[in-house]
Amino acid sequence: MNIIVCIKQVPDSSQVKVDPKTGTLIRAGVPSILNPYDHYALEKALEIKAKTGAKVTVLSMGPNQAVAVLRLALALGADEGVLLSDRAFAGSDTWATSYALATAIRKIGAYDLILCGQMAIDGDTAQTGPGIARHLDIPQLTFCERIDANNNQVIVKKLIEGGHQIVQAQMPVLVTMTFPADYAPKYPSFLAAHKAQDKQIFTWTAADIQADVHKLGLEGSPTRVDRIFPPPARPKGEMFSGSAMELANKFVEILKKESIVK
Amino acid sequence: MAKNDLITRNLMLDSLRQYAKNRISFNLIREHDAKNEIPLDILKEMYDHNVLGVHLLLIPEEYGGLGGQTTEIYRVCEQLARIDLGIATGVFATFLGSDPLNVGGTPEQKAKWFKKIAHENKLVAYGATEADAGSDLVSLRTRAEHVIKDGKVVGYKITGSKMWISNGGVADIYTVLALAPGGPSWFIVEKGTPGFTQDVHEDKHGIRLSNTAGLAFDEVYVPAENLIGLKEGQGFLQAQAVFGYTRLMVAAFGLGGGEEAVETALEYAGQRIQAGGPLSQKQGFMLKLITPHYIRFEAVRAYIDWTAKQLEVNNHGLATEGAIAKLYATESGNKAAEDAIQAMGGFGYTKEFSVEKIKRDVKITCIYEGTSEVLEMTIFRGRWQEHLKSRGQYYVKQAEEFEALHAQNPDVGADSVALGFRALARVLEDCRVNKLTRHQYITFQLGDLITEMEVAAVFTRQCANKLVTEGSRFDLASLCTMARVNARQSAFKVASEGMRLVLGTCPAINTTELAQAVNLVAIEDKMRGLIEDMDVVSAKLRDTLKK
Repeated sequence: MNIIVCIKQVPDSSQVKVDPKTGTLIRAGVPSILNPYDHYALEKALEIKAKTGAKVTVLSMGPNQAVAVLRLALALGADEGVLLSDRAFAGSDTWATSYALATAIRKIGAYDLILCGQMAIDGDTAQTGPGIARHLDIPQLTFCERIDANNNQVIVKKLIEGGHQIVQAQMPVLVTMTFPADYAPKYPSFLAAHKAQDKQIFTWTAADIQADVHKLGLEGSPTRVDRIFPPPARPKGEMFSGSAMELANKFVEILKKESIVK
Repeated sequence: MAKNDLITRNLMLDSLRQYAKNRISFNLIREHDAKNEIPLDILKEMYDHNVLGVHLLLIPEEYGGLGGQTTEIYRVCEQLARIDLGIATGVFATFLGSDPLNVGGTPEQKAKWFKKIAHENKLVAYGATEADAGSDLVSLRTRAEHVIKDGKVVGYKITGSKMWISNGGVADIYTVLALAPGGPSWFIVEKGTPGFTQDVHEDKHGIRLSNTAGLAFDEVYVPAENLIGLKEGQGFLQAQAVFGYTRLMVAAFGLGGGEEAVETALEYAGQRIQAGGPLSQKQGFMLKLITPHYIRFEAVRAYIDWTAKQLEVNNHGLATEGAIAKLYATESGNKAAEDAIQAMGGFGYTKEFSVEKIKRDVKITCIYEGTSEVLEMTIFRGRWQEHLKSRGQYYVKQAEEFEALHAQNPDVGADSVALGFRALARVLEDCRVNKLTRHQYITFQLGDLITEMEVAAVFTRQCANKLVTEGSRFDLASLCTMARVNARQSAFKVASEGMRLVLGTCPAINTTELAQAVNLVAIEDKMRGLIEDMDVVSAKLRDTLKK
């Protein structure tokens, strides 16, 4: 079985602040991390590898420093890495990105299962995984918390509004993963980090994957970002105290005053 | 296999950070600190290959280790210190204990003991210190007598005692320095060897998560094959060969402890509202208690990293540089921790917050692996020789280098470094002409001034060469501002302190002439814009140091 896991390097959003004046992210001193949803998807792929002996390839698109997340994935147990790095990819939205990743996946060739994180914490779109499936014209299962794979099938636990579904699908299939609340990412030992240096990471340009450059970057991106701004601060609430009866009367009075009830 | 590259080093540090986040809570640390107890299960887990295997860094690759380079080892030490200096000391003791073997062991000895340490997660202790032999190892009393069979030395009987040995009560393997008939020598002694006992764990001021105990040897028999290097009399050489390196590790402890304290205080100051705004926005607060410390940390980070990279080329030596790094980093860390308490007021003084513990912990870094005073002496001796050999030109030459550097890059304080070096050269020369180094105090203080200038020089040179120090979280522009502030203050310290020392011991010297000779006015003149620069640094610290 061949598994491809798509991963992304993102700024650790727990440490990012928004500049209130310019509306842009203050990235100074903010460390880059492996997107946590991708981290989870990778761990699931490695669990399938442990069970079935599958080959796990990790794929990322980004600047050269994104090689750090590929190395982390290799240290955790992935077999091989591919980095798509080219100025032609810069400015790609989720559609152009999923085109590039799908094109790279075609070049990798054999694949049975493609795993992605549900979304990246720097964009929160959840569109890239489904986009890849569309470009490859294969089925997709999104928002999955658990996955099991054997022979030609995957069985997933897919979260839906108010519950979950257990879904079975034939490979090849693309699955996007979301993690449970108590998820704590695994990190490699020093020895594993050291040994990952000997594993192969290929760097491919747009030409290497024979991508149509008109479908990449700003030109290939239908999305236009109008502006980014932090949500307005919530107005301060008013606090009341008193007995239940007094409070109830007070609330009714306010609701009437605000014309919420008559 | 390749040496660990930057990405690998960062992966290791991330793993260590994450491990600490998940397993070593402040509550756990606090409890062990209160009980004066080593968290042995944590230490063993950190040695577990599948979890971290941190001790493997010290072990050469051919024996199952990672053959760690100085850079990653100091960076791991810094990170360990940020977690807890007691735990850091426990790990470091294994590093240190393995060193005599690394330096002097035969291939067979290395194979045997390193494999044991690597694969069986053994804790190691370094047994050198005695009641009357600290940095002064010449007063060593522990003896190793020959055991002779059929006219051949088959073993040794060790008798004596050691004190303040880190991991003393919990180690599995001990490297012990003893006086053999052929001179001081290192021996490997295993726990449980008859006659070898460990005293109770010391009740210390700080690093209470590190086990510290005395060792007693009553005719402890070790086979001849446990003599490291199989040759007597190599002990001091083997000990001194690694001083540059081991002191660099303790320097990283001072840096890590200090950073943790200052960043904790800054985080608090961001939330503490005082007179309508957060404390961290108050200029007086920042410039007095926070900013100067972080500038010194970045200066010494550059120095430690530079020394580490030199050591990777030269392998051993650089005793003076190691001493400079340790003196500067640990004294800066200690003062910073003190101010971190002050910055947090009453909160800082309670055990609810970590800075009180860090303050107690970090003090040890000014004491072990050579006290600050021993280091001042070492540094003075090392550079005094250079001053004499070069007929007073040693620092003048360096001043010329920085004058040239300033011409190319006027924004990194190279002009102040040049002035500082000229002042230092002049002070040393006055000390020589007037025989002032007969005062021991003067030698200590000169060691301190030399340290001040050499650290400033490396930091400024790195910035002039547009190098962002590995592990620094600041951009080049911020580092250049810091280097500028630092160079000005170091030069001023050298000139003003130098005058104090010379005039204090030699009243006949003309004050005005001396002030001219050390360029005091020119150095003071460079202070223009200093406070503005410091305000810029404060703003950068607020933006960048988010815990």
